[in-house]
Amino acid sequence: MLTLDLAINGLIIGVFYALMAIGLSLIFGILKVVNFAHGEFYMLGAYAYTLAGLLLGISPWISLPFAFLVGMIVGLIVERLLMRPLYSGYTSWAVMRDEYAVIVTFGLSLLLINLVDKIVGPYAYKGPALVDVTRIALGPVLISGHRLIAALAGIGVIIATGLIVRYSYWGRQIQAVAQNRLGASLAGIDTAKASAIVFALAGGLAAVSGALLANIFNPTPDVGVFPAIKSYVIVVLGGMGSVPGSIVASLILGVLESFGGVYISYQYRDTFGLVILILVLMFRPQGLFGERARDV
Amino acid sequence: MKAEDVQGGTRARMRTELLVSLGILAAVALLPAIVANEYWRGVFIVSMYFAMLAAAWNLLAGYTGQLSLAPAAFGMIGGYVTGLLSYHYNAPPMVGIPAAIVVSGLIGFVLGRIVLRLRGPYLALTTLSFAEIVRLIISNSIEITRGDLGLNVPGIFDHRLAYYYAMLAVLLAVQLGLYFLLRTPAGLYLRAIRDDEIAAASRGVKIVLWKTNAFTLSAAISGLAGALYGHFAQFVSPELGLISQTGIIISMVVIGGLGTLPGPIGAAFLVYIASEFLRGFGGYQLIVFALLVIIFSRFFREGLWGLLRRAFERARARPATAQAAE
Repeated sequence: MLTLDLAINGLIIGVFYALMAIGLSLIFGILKVVNFAHGEFYMLGAYAYTLAGLLLGISPWISLPFAFLVGMIVGLIVERLLMRPLYSGYTSWAVMRDEYAVIVTFGLSLLLINLVDKIVGPYAYKGPALVDVTRIALGPVLISGHRLIAALAGIGVIIATGLIVRYSYWGRQIQAVAQNRLGASLAGIDTAKASAIVFALAGGLAAVSGALLANIFNPTPDVGVFPAIKSYVIVVLGGMGSVPGSIVASLILGVLESFGGVYISYQYRDTFGLVILILVLMFRPQGLFGERARDV
Repeated sequence: MKAEDVQGGTRARMRTELLVSLGILAAVALLPAIVANEYWRGVFIVSMYFAMLAAAWNLLAGYTGQLSLAPAAFGMIGGYVTGLLSYHYNAPPMVGIPAAIVVSGLIGFVLGRIVLRLRGPYLALTTLSFAEIVRLIISNSIEITRGDLGLNVPGIFDHRLAYYYAMLAVLLAVQLGLYFLLRTPAGLYLRAIRDDEIAAASRGVKIVLWKTNAFTLSAAISGLAGALYGHFAQFVSPELGLISQTGIIISMVVIGGLGTLPGPIGAAFLVYIASEFLRGFGGYQLIVFALLVIIFSRFFREGLWGLLRRAFERARARPATAQAAE
């Protein structure tokens, strides 16, 4: 039953990866930049969830939306203060645009990690579990109750996000801007607002991912570094800017790591994804489901 | 404006930049006369390690426009090459250091070939993955590298001052080498690739050749820096290749001025020495640097050197306009 066990655990991890990667992918879709501070949204969410439970004693089911809110607010602030120059008429910046985005988000990541390290401290906290059941039998596979419930909650959030992006008024504006910023603005869409929505959504999703995993990977200031690297692998594998691509790639990576850790090498399980990232960029840069931007 | 004027203008500007860099290095050479404290001399030596890494990364990111996130990994590779050679084969530093340069240069060449067609975020992601892979390999190959325990490296000199001036000499050589490289047509090719790759190719610049050259050279310099650091600290560990180390190198270059000669090395000293001071006041150094990186890249894209130069030019222009008005 090892195979089934590995497959289910891999899929569950894949759900949390997907929560991270969807936001990253949406940001890339709309601004064509990679947010190198994405892991820090995850970290802030994990802390918001854990500390709200520990200090205020509120139910984890209320801390969860609270974490989402924290991620959203930080996302909005970051977009307003640091991302605006990427698209609002700084023409002379065109040449160094990509470099600016990499450096400024890299700096932001360093800032948030060390701010939290100073304010909250470097020690790990254990996030509260969503349910008290320690073991649930899922057919022949035993799984911790928190893990299962968290994964189900994650799936719910992913489906909701997919529906919002696909069908809602704002979601369709986001899609239009992602396809063609100039074209969208000619059609009367407020592209700045679309970017702000995307950042809020991406920050919130990453924060929820951190919150849901806070019971399993206890929050420390640099807890977001590894999930962030995984989500870079995923957006590259799934195709930058493609939400379905990110979801499929997340599940693939989760299962692959789960099996690779047992059958190939446990020590090197974190390198598989990185090797995949380099290979995909070398041989299939558009990824599995990469979307091509349309020109006006 | 004629092409020669542009060329002449850059040449004059570069000469000023070289003179200022030499001034910084001269000041560093005189520092031990004022500071007798061994601990602070050690801090200056580590600053020189970072200055070399910053200069190497600046060649790649600032002058060639290839924003790699792997500079710390090459420093780590250099340190481990000489460290492993002496640990397993008792090789002296005279063999280890050149080997470190060659091996990191070769790895830089391979990385350069891999990322040849990638730009912007894709380039950053690939180099970041590369750096993490190298670090994970070193920290997991416990039988060879002793993993996270780190590796003891034999020292070269008996006195700290000897390390000090050896590092300074290498840093001076690196800085002079960069200056003369940037003055040649090769320097123009690199900057042309940075400014517009397609336009540069259409004017006959061999993109493949010069991009890989930049990667190779930058990696070789970083490897040299890492090897020297390893012998000075007498210890190397996978922590040398952490992403946060890359963050420190990037902050130095961005604060000093991307694509300028004196900016990165000047800022390397400022940033590292300031961080030692701030460590005494509760360890806020990384918060301050991260804020500075964000503020500089958002509002002062030319860095400290750009601000200084502009202030200087304004001061010089004012009497001239006053004369013209009369």
